[in-house]
Order: sequence, then C-alpha cells, then structure tokens
Amino acid sequence: MSSGQPLVRVEELQKYFWEQDSILDRLLGAEPVPVRAVDGVSFDIYRGETLGLVGESGCGKSTAGETLLRLQEPTDGHVEFDEHDVYELAGSELTEFRRDAQVVFQDPFSSLDPRMTIGEIVRQPLDVHNVDTVEKRRERVRELLERVGLSADQLDRYPHEFSGGQRQRIGIARALALEPEFLVLDEPTSALDVSVQAQVLNLLDELQAEFDLTYLLISHDLSVIRHICDRVAVMYLGEIVEIGPVEAIFEEPKHPYTEALLESVPRATTDERERDRETISGDVPSPRDPPSGCRFRTRCPKVIPPDDVEIDQEEYRAIMDLRERIERRDISLESVGEDGGFEFVDGAVSETDLPAFVTALKTRVIDRTLAPEHDEVVEEALAELASSNWERAADVLSSRYESVCERRRPELGEESHPAACHLHDDAEESIRR
Amino acid sequence: MISERVKSNLKQTFSESLLPKIGLLLLISILFMAMFAPILATHDPTRTGHYTEEGAEYPPLGHEYTTQVAADGEIGEVTVRGSSEHVLGTNNVGQDVYSRFLYGARISLLVGLLGTSMAVAIGVPVGLVAGYYGGRVDDGLMRIADVMLAFPALVLALALIGVFGESPVQVPDPIVLAGLAEGMPESIPIPGTVTIVVGLVTWVWFARVARGEALSIRNEEYVKAARSFGASNWTILSKHVLPNSLTPIIVLATIQVAVIILLEASLAYLGFSGTTLSWGYEIERGQDVLRTRPWVSMLPGIGIVLAVISVNLLGDWFRDALDPNIEGEGR
Amino acid sequence: MTEDVLRVNDLSTRFFTTEGQINAVSSLDLRIERGEIFGIVGESGSGKSVTARSVMNLIESPGEITSGEIWYRNRDLVAEVEDDYPDAVDGEFVDLLELPDDLRRSLRGTSFSMIFQDPESSFNSTLTVGEQLAEAVEVQRRASANPRSTRARTREYSLGNYLLSSVLPSQRYVSEASRERAIELLEMVGIPDPVERADEYPHEYSGGMLQRAMIAQALAGEPDVLVADEPTTALDVTIQAQVLDLLDDLQERTGMTILLITHNLGVIARMCDRVGVMYAGEIVERGRLEDVFDEHVHPYTEGLLGSVPDLERAGDRLQPIPGNVPSLIDAEMDDRCYFADRCPKAMETCLEHPPEYDAGGSDRHQARCVLAEIDYEEGRALPADYFGDTERPAGDKHADPDRTEDDVEPERTRSVVDDSGGDRR
Repeated sequence: MSSGQPLVRVEELQKYFWEQDSILDRLLGAEPVPVRAVDGVSFDIYRGETLGLVGESGCGKSTAGETLLRLQEPTDGHVEFDEHDVYELAGSELTEFRRDAQVVFQDPFSSLDPRMTIGEIVRQPLDVHNVDTVEKRRERVRELLERVGLSADQLDRYPHEFSGGQRQRIGIARALALEPEFLVLDEPTSALDVSVQAQVLNLLDELQAEFDLTYLLISHDLSVIRHICDRVAVMYLGEIVEIGPVEAIFEEPKHPYTEALLESVPRATTDERERDRETISGDVPSPRDPPSGCRFRTRCPKVIPPDDVEIDQEEYRAIMDLRERIERRDISLESVGEDGGFEFVDGAVSETDLPAFVTALKTRVIDRTLAPEHDEVVEEALAELASSNWERAADVLSSRYESVCERRRPELGEESHPAACHLHDDAEESIRR
Repeated sequence: MISERVKSNLKQTFSESLLPKIGLLLLISILFMAMFAPILATHDPTRTGHYTEEGAEYPPLGHEYTTQVAADGEIGEVTVRGSSEHVLGTNNVGQDVYSRFLYGARISLLVGLLGTSMAVAIGVPVGLVAGYYGGRVDDGLMRIADVMLAFPALVLALALIGVFGESPVQVPDPIVLAGLAEGMPESIPIPGTVTIVVGLVTWVWFARVARGEALSIRNEEYVKAARSFGASNWTILSKHVLPNSLTPIIVLATIQVAVIILLEASLAYLGFSGTTLSWGYEIERGQDVLRTRPWVSMLPGIGIVLAVISVNLLGDWFRDALDPNIEGEGR
Repeated sequence: MTEDVLRVNDLSTRFFTTEGQINAVSSLDLRIERGEIFGIVGESGSGKSVTARSVMNLIESPGEITSGEIWYRNRDLVAEVEDDYPDAVDGEFVDLLELPDDLRRSLRGTSFSMIFQDPESSFNSTLTVGEQLAEAVEVQRRASANPRSTRARTREYSLGNYLLSSVLPSQRYVSEASRERAIELLEMVGIPDPVERADEYPHEYSGGMLQRAMIAQALAGEPDVLVADEPTTALDVTIQAQVLDLLDDLQERTGMTILLITHNLGVIARMCDRVGVMYAGEIVERGRLEDVFDEHVHPYTEGLLGSVPDLERAGDRLQPIPGNVPSLIDAEMDDRCYFADRCPKAMETCLEHPPEYDAGGSDRHQARCVLAEIDYEEGRALPADYFGDTERPAGDKHADPDRTEDDVEPERTRSVVDDSGGDRR
C-alpha cells in the first residue's frame, strides 16, 4: 500500500504561536514568547493509506494538521501535495488544492454553522467552487447525505436537530462534496459515544475504499488509531518521536514514550486489573520552554546516565528532578529553615548548622536512600544551597550526572520504523559501521 | 436567518412575562402616533399664536390657572381655562402641545432608528473585520475605538455639531402629500447633523460587540472548514461570521435606540438640534415656565420616558429570548 | 461477607423542562458494599451522572427526585437522627431522602464526597490550592464537631477576616494545623514537593495535578463514599493512568467505597469490582466485572463492548449499535424495553417492559432482558422496520436536559485550547 510517490510530503514543518505580541506589549518592551506547537516534523503520506498522528493534548498534532492544509501559515518548513509546494500555491492551483484536500473536525457542535440548514452546509463547497448547475448541486447534496447514512428528506433541518453522530456524518458529507483525494480527520470521533464512534469509524472505512481516499487521522485514542491506520506517527511536545507501520508501533514500540502511551491505556477486559502496568510519572512540560535535548527526558523511565556512572533509574530520576528544581529555584529554603530552627544570615546558614541543615533539606527533597557515592554528590550540592548558591549547586549535579539525552536532540532516522531516541542510536551507528 | 427555534423562544419568553407585552404595546402606540401624526394632530404643530382671548397660553382641558396679562395698557390678573380646541394646552409661543407631542414622537423615533442604523453600519463592519482578521488590523481599529470611548458621548456630539453646523433636512410628509391630512406642514425637518453624530458617537459599542463575536466565531470549526474548501474571507464574513453574531447585535441595537433617543433629547434640550419639533427642545422651552405652566414640559418628558422604557423592555425580551446561554441554540 | 453501605431503592429523578418531562433516572435500585469500587457505565444521556448527583443531593431545578429511598448505613448518623426523624431510620440505615436539606448537606464531605471531571471549575482561582484545602479541612472538622451549625464557619470566614488575610499572610490559613493537614493531603495524592505546591494558585497546576488536588479536597473529610463522576475523562492517557493508580491506591489504604461513573469501559475494567450498565435511565445489566464483561446477557452490553476498537489486535470491522441514544421525554417513552428499537434480537416479548432477571454467572448478575430467561427465536423476532426509521433526529439532545452529562465534551474543549494555546487572541 505504501509505495510509489507520497501524496503528501511534510518536511521540517514548524508552527510557532507568539505570545506577548500586541502593539502594547511591544511598547512595553516585552519580548514575544514563542509557543512551539509544531517544531520540525517530517513525514510522508502515501496514496490510499491512512496515517495516524497520535499524541496527548497540546502535543501539536491538530496544529500540524491545520498547518499542512494551510489553514494556518507555517513558521517554517515545506509541505508538498501531489508534488506541489502547498505554501507556494496561488490562483487556480490553490483553488485546486482546496478541492483536493478537505478536513473533518472533532467537534460536531462547532463544525456546522448553526444558522444554515444541512442542505446549505453540504452544498456550500459546491457553491464556492461553482460546480455544475444549481439543480445538479442539489442532486449531489442528496446523494452525499444518503451516502453517509442520513435521509435526504432532512435537507432543510438545522444542525441542532441532529445528534452528535449524525452531525459528524454531515461534516463528512461536506468534506466529500468536492470529491477530494485527501482528508484530514481531526479527532473525528472523540466527542462521540462509543457505539456511535464505531458507526462513524466503519463509515470512514467504507468511504476510503469507495472513493480511494488518503487519510491523515489525528487522534489521542490509541485504539481508534490501531483500528484504522496503516502507519502511525507518535507526537510528543511538537516533535515526532516515532513513526512506523501500525503493527510495528503497537507490537514493538521503540520509543519509551510510545511504550508508556500503550501501557497507559486501560483495556476493556476483565484481566485489566491484574495487568502489569508501567505508567510514567510527571506532566507534559510547557511548549513555551521545552526541555533541551530529548523532550521526553523529564518523564522518561529510561534516561541514559553518563557512561562512568553506575546508578539505577529511580535514583537517577530522583537526582534529575532535584537538579531541575534547583535550576528553577523551586525549593523553599526558608521553610526548611523555619522547620529546623536554622537561621539564615545574609542568605546562608551558619557553619555549625550546616550538616543538620543538609540532612533536613535532603529528607525534604529526596524521598529515597541513595547509594553512598551519589549521596555524597547530592550532599555537596545541597551544602551549596545552604549559602543560597543555586548555580553552584546545579553545576555540582550537572557535571556529574548530565545525560546524553539532555545534551543532544535525538534524530528521527530514515528507515521504515525510526524512533527519535538515543537508546536506538547505538544500533543505528553500528549498522552504519 | 431567524430560525424556528429563535421564533419559539421569542414566543415563549413573550407569553411567560408581562414586561415584553407592556413594552410592545407602548412601542406600537408610539409608532402609531408618530406615523399618523398629521391625521391625529389637531393643529399645525409649527403654527404659533394659539392664545386665549386674554393673550395667555391655554392650559390642558379641565384645568385653569391665573396669570397676569397686559390689557389696555394695564396689567391685570385673569383666570384662564382650558379649551377643547387645545386639549393639552398650548406652549409659551402659542403652539398646540398635543400636536407637537405627536410630531415630537416622529423626530425621536426617526433619530433613534436612523442613528442606530448609522452606528450599526459603521460599528458592525469595523468590529467584524477587527475580530476576524485579528493581529495588527485589530490592534489599529480597536485603538481608534478606545479613543472614541475616551470622550463622553454628549461632549463629542456637541463638538461635532459645532464643526458641521446643525444642517436640518426637510423630509416631505407622505401622508400630507397624499392629501390625507389638511393644514399640516408638508415636510418636517430632521436634525441632519444630530442623526449622523449620534451614530458616530455610539458605533464603538457595536464595534466592540461585533469584534467579540467575530473573535470567537473565527475559531469555530465551521469557519475553518469553510477556509479548507476555499471560501473567501468575504464569503466567510458575510455567510458565517455576520449571521452568527447578529443576536447580540440585535439586542444591543434595541437598547441603543433608547440611548440615542435620550442623546437626541439632551442635544435638543441644549439647543443643538436643528429642529424645534423635538421633545427635548420642548422640555427646554417649558423650563422657564415650569412653575406656572408645567404642561409645556411635562408631556414631552413623559413621551421620552415611555419611549425609552418601551425600547428597553423589548431589548430585555430579545436578550432573554435570543441569548444562547439560556437555550442551547448553537454554542 | 461485607455489608452494604448504600441501598438505593426505586430512585426516580425527573427533569421538568419546556420540552416535557424527562425521565433521567427511572426506578433505579442500587446496592453498594462497603469498600468496593462500583462502576456505572453508560453513554451520554443514560442517566449515570444524574444518578450520582441524586445520591449526592445535587439535583437542581428543573430536576427533582420524584420517588425512591437512599438508605445509608451509618450508626453514628442513626444515633443522631433517630429521635428527630424516627421515620428515616431503619436498623443501621438512614433514609437520606427523609432528612432535611441542611442535615444532608452536612453529610457532604464527611460521609459523601464527589469529584468531577473538570477540576478547573472546582477551584477558586484567587486562592492558593493550600488555602482551599485547608478551608475544606476546617469546614469538615467543624461539621463533624457540630453538624447542625454552620454559624461557626460564617464567623471565621467573615469579611473582616478576609480583609485581614489579604494584608497579613500569616492570617491566610485558618489555623496552622489545617495548613499542615492540607500539605499532608497533597502528599497523600502524590503531588511532588507539597510544601511548595501548597502555596501555588490553581492556574499554576497542570490538569493532572489539579485533578489530584481535587481528590485531596474530597478526601479532606475522610468520607465513607467517594462519588467519582468521570474523574479522568478530561485527562490524557498517561495522566489518566496516574490518577487511576492513585484512586486505586487510596481506596486500598483508606478502605473507602467508590462509586465510579464513566463512559470508558477500559476505566471500568481497570478499577471496578462490580458494574452496572445504564441505558435510558435504568441499569440494564449488573454484576461482577466478569459477569458483565464476559458473561453478559443484554444485547446492549454486547453492543457496547463490541463498539470498542481493540488495542491489542488490528481491526476487524467494528460491531456498532445501530441508531441513536433514545429520547427520555416521558411522552415519547413507550412501555417496552427501551433498547428494543436498536436491539438486533428484539422479539415480541420485548414490547413489555422487562423486570430484572437473574442472569447466571455469579448470584449478583442480573439483566433487564428477557434473554436471561428464554432463548432468542427468530420466529418471534420483530420485523426490522417495526419501529420505523431509526435515524430519528436529535435523539440525544432530549436526553441531556441540563447538560449534566456532557461527559465527552471537556476533552474536546481542552485539546482545542491547548493546541492553539498561543494563538493571538
């Protein structure tokens, strides 16, 4: 299925949103802050296939979908559709593209204009492109509605008279009106009940076969992705971390994030309670200030320690979290001081109190016992904090524990199932050698 | 454009509450008075000199008052009685108060409606464009609007009238021209500058409301969908954004009619109207004789109050009925 | 064997709207045992949220509990109310619906707590999370010390105190003890660095952390029963997994009872001991997890499970349930099995409203379907077009009178907001 020239080719697509960017902010001298919604993603979509784009909310998957349809202007990067650069299109070529690529949205409530009848809604694309005569357009609308499983008699009704699943069918009919080649399905079933979701998924399946459609399915729901996709791209914080055939992604995930995602989904079977789950801790960092190197490293259960450091992953995680807190200056030294009765003079604890202070601080910030060699380094860092020397404290930790995962951004390889993770670097390099 | 659901909401709110009924009744009566003023009026409202034999103003029918008049070179006190000729009396230049009241309703409503249309015509496009395009366009347009808001409406209106003059416009009266009423003026003067000025000082409200609506509508998925199949910005603005932002604009427009009626009355009261056939002007005229001949100001005053109340009640009704937060019309 | 903590008998909750009387919950029976996690699963408009709210006494106009009893086992409560309300007491049980409103309200937090799907709206954005937890702690403490009086609370939360607290940071917490307890609660729900986090405002929390904070708030009064209404629907899967782990862990540690409402069958499978499947305001099938998932009798349960795409296997065609969620308007509900019009196995007998039958499996497995008693016979099947066109417009609009069941919505709103977070608006 995935052979020949790709229909859609996305290269290094970037989309930033800017905060603090109004005239007033400029006048006040505020620097615009970029929100890196999509930060350099590349993938191909081949004719007739369904590519899934999966990720958690805020990972930029919907923005990627909208940007590649040029509903938003990209910050950087290229998208080729049928060998034409989408962002260079103008005039009749752009019109052509607007006919060939369509989108179905997530929200069955907001995706239909409440003040138009469904006949008008489905007919609108035909009107805009002046297809055929008015009489033929009407006929086409009836056909489309019947095709998606609605009765053509309902043409004159308003969207609010329909249920969520029916509205989604109307949205699909509208997207099909211009006989497109390519459909972006942006969470098409997320707002629907499971039984209705199944109806819509089946419909999408049939339509793909019937009209030779190519789909980009954007979803957070892994079971939906597995059900209808041929290939899957997993997104995390604006980047694609792994891409490959659906079987490979689900059966042999390479990236720790993909593994974690799959582990986290509760299965609707009776042995779910006994299943051995490996879930990940922590939250998705802000796309305003993404972590250096690998963006998943703040939550990753498999961060690579430096070669000369022997440490188990949990201890390593504890130390990395501590370092991050020190870098953010997010430890309330005063409250440790108050609790232990230490006094800060000029931001420092007196010499005599130092050992006790370090011990108190350590119980506060590290909730496990560390191996002696690591314990020593941590205490050294905490002692720096006793004199409010945040930078030194962070340096002590980073010089010893800095991981390759934070120094270098892992690249997504070129093979059929690449993962952007340093764990797979070695394998890759050894093959090249 | 107005869906069945809106209609049923309007009906339901109307039947459930007394206030919209009062408002509608009041407004219909005022409209009726204004439309058929030449037929309902008993005298030419601009003709002066309707005095009693003693040369005093008529009080309303059934009332009497004593006043000093000069007769034969002497000043004497006389008691003046109302006459059925001038049921509501005459004012201090001897014009029929009742007839002027009817014509005043015309001016108030005309200025209210025309001024509001003016404000809508400027404010709504500006607001929709600002909200829909966003970014620099929005910044620019909305800063202008902020500057407009910084001036009190009345002061701004006075300044503009000072610059452009009053320029009254004579509008022919179809009822008189059709020969349905005799002895009435063939045209009435509309305060030209005032009508435009009240629009100019109130468009900002429409711009703000329209902008807010456009801001949220442009993020609706049906707008994105329209863009995805290549609809032009103009199509999107006229087919999606405008129709979907109408509800709050209609509500605002209704209430704004009342604001403009008051504004016109204030301007007329201050003598900047360009027409003498205005309730505001009449109140000013009666002010000097408020103690002795209160009817001169009272009737136009009541007129203003009733007109404002009726329009506001209707505005409330529309708001209750059309507000999507109350019944789930769209979201 | 464990004892029942909650017995709901014949509960009916109706909404009186301009479109007609809506039977959100009809003659519902429920037994919940102490220390179990009981799940109610259903689609939007099935009445599952209304059931939870009815138990919590959170039904607001135009809704009303029109009949039923909610028996709650609590010896202390019995001792407290048996003199004043002898009718409301039966053995160790108290009928909550017989108690006056203020008394029921005082049970909230201490006996019953609820967590919702949308944590953002449950916190006041102008107070720190720690302050709000401390407040919950204080209120619970006073309520349990003196259940009938809320006056003490009004005194300490007076305007003067409020003004003082905005000037003096030391006044912000009602007491040092409550602050400590707040931090302890945050730690209990697994919020890292609770001391620092307690002084942050809700907007500084992520969605998952806020959900944890809400759980902490619900646990402040050490409730007997925790009602969790779609607690993870608004969360991403990795965060959902964390929150479910937390709930499971807390349940084990405190031994509380959880009534879990969700539309997600995976969450049910992950969490619950027993399950009730709701459809059109009724529980159509109930039993132990294994009964319902593996031995189900009701075609609706079958359809629901068949609709979920399998994560472990690539897809065969899904087996969806045809048609739409039914109308719950009283006038439109015929006296038949409410699922019959969508049921692939509808028979003539289904034109009568079925009672609950024992359905094999464990002794608690019951189904409101004749198939529990008799086998499907094609000869007695209803003709396919018996109920006319099943694509009836707007089925689920009626079913959702006051948007109490907009289960799947916040997910949508959230991701829309998040994805375009930095757009110039």
